[in-house]
Amino acid sequence: MSDRPIDARGCTEFLEELERLPSGLPGRNTAENWREMLPPAAREHAVKCAECAAALEDFAETRAAMAGMAERVAEPGPWFVSRVMAAIVAKERELEEQTNGVWISVMRLAPRLAAFAAVLLVLGGTWALELRRAEHSRQQQSRPAVEGLFETVPNTPLNDDIVASTHEELQP
Amino acid sequence: MTAKAGAGPGGGGGNRQGDDRELVRRAQQGDAEAFELLVKKHQGRVFAVAGGILRNREDVEDIAQQVFVKAYFSLKKFDQRAAFSTWLYKITVNECWDLLRKKKVRPLVYESELSEEQATMYLATEPKSDQGPDVRERLEVQQQLERWLDCLDERDRTMLTLKEVQGFTVEEIAEILGINGNTVKVRLFRARQKIAATIRRRKRAAGV
Repeated sequence: MSDRPIDARGCTEFLEELERLPSGLPGRNTAENWREMLPPAAREHAVKCAECAAALEDFAETRAAMAGMAERVAEPGPWFVSRVMAAIVAKERELEEQTNGVWISVMRLAPRLAAFAAVLLVLGGTWALELRRAEHSRQQQSRPAVEGLFETVPNTPLNDDIVASTHEELQP
Repeated sequence: MTAKAGAGPGGGGGNRQGDDRELVRRAQQGDAEAFELLVKKHQGRVFAVAGGILRNREDVEDIAQQVFVKAYFSLKKFDQRAAFSTWLYKITVNECWDLLRKKKVRPLVYESELSEEQATMYLATEPKSDQGPDVRERLEVQQQLERWLDCLDERDRTMLTLKEVQGFTVEEIAEILGINGNTVKVRLFRARQKIAATIRRRKRAAGV
């Protein structure tokens, strides 16, 4: 592209005009025919600027190649709208079932969970009780031996007590 | 603006968008009939957009249905800042691209392997023209075009199809694809350069 600002602007404007060209073209899809549909300034620019002239050729070539595609655009059948609405109803039902399904599962499981919890409580309580009893009886069995070791002597006065009390008696 | 696949998205713009806004508002409040009207209004365009990217008739139908179902369930989140049609075509393009990624093939390549029977059935569903070449020739032309378009990436091919086949403006394409208008212009320019170069090279190779 030219270094002169006015040409660069011309190129930018030319490309914008190219994009504004309508889809259909009466007559053959040639660069010449498309050039005729451009505004005068753009038409003149395409003659002077080799790059924009090449862009116009590419434009015409692409349009010609893709013209056939437009004729073969798929169209919906007469049943399509009903099919869409039916799919929406089915999806809504599916979502509703999913939500209900979660709650139904919880409700179904709740009695079983409660029963299971009760059984666990009973078993756990029984086990704890048994454990405590076992420990208590173990403690009771071991206690007399322990007391024997530290068995206290009947409360007989010690010699020192006797000496002390005699001394008190002898005091005037 | 004239577009080949029914009225262009910009045609009668203000009135059409006003109608759409009202229908969308009603549909958002649960009016199924309003949504059905939206489907009737936009089905052709959605088919055209999907058809430009996918080309397989069954895929186009499935995707078009998926698009409207998705739009229905996302409608409450749509704030109407953009036109409903633009939002719908955006969903269409994204659904098509998702399908292509799942298939992990280039968009038009898998269509080039049609058997003769499939090709005949495919072309038989197309609108009949009074003076057209025979089925085989039309199929060859179509397959040739698909091979030419294969030189472009997914995004450029979509852009070119939206512009050249469906007649969307640069601004509409920019909005649908979520990119800048200048980027669209540059990419269209380069896409056409590539296509034209491919066509000329292959014609030279074929001795045309």
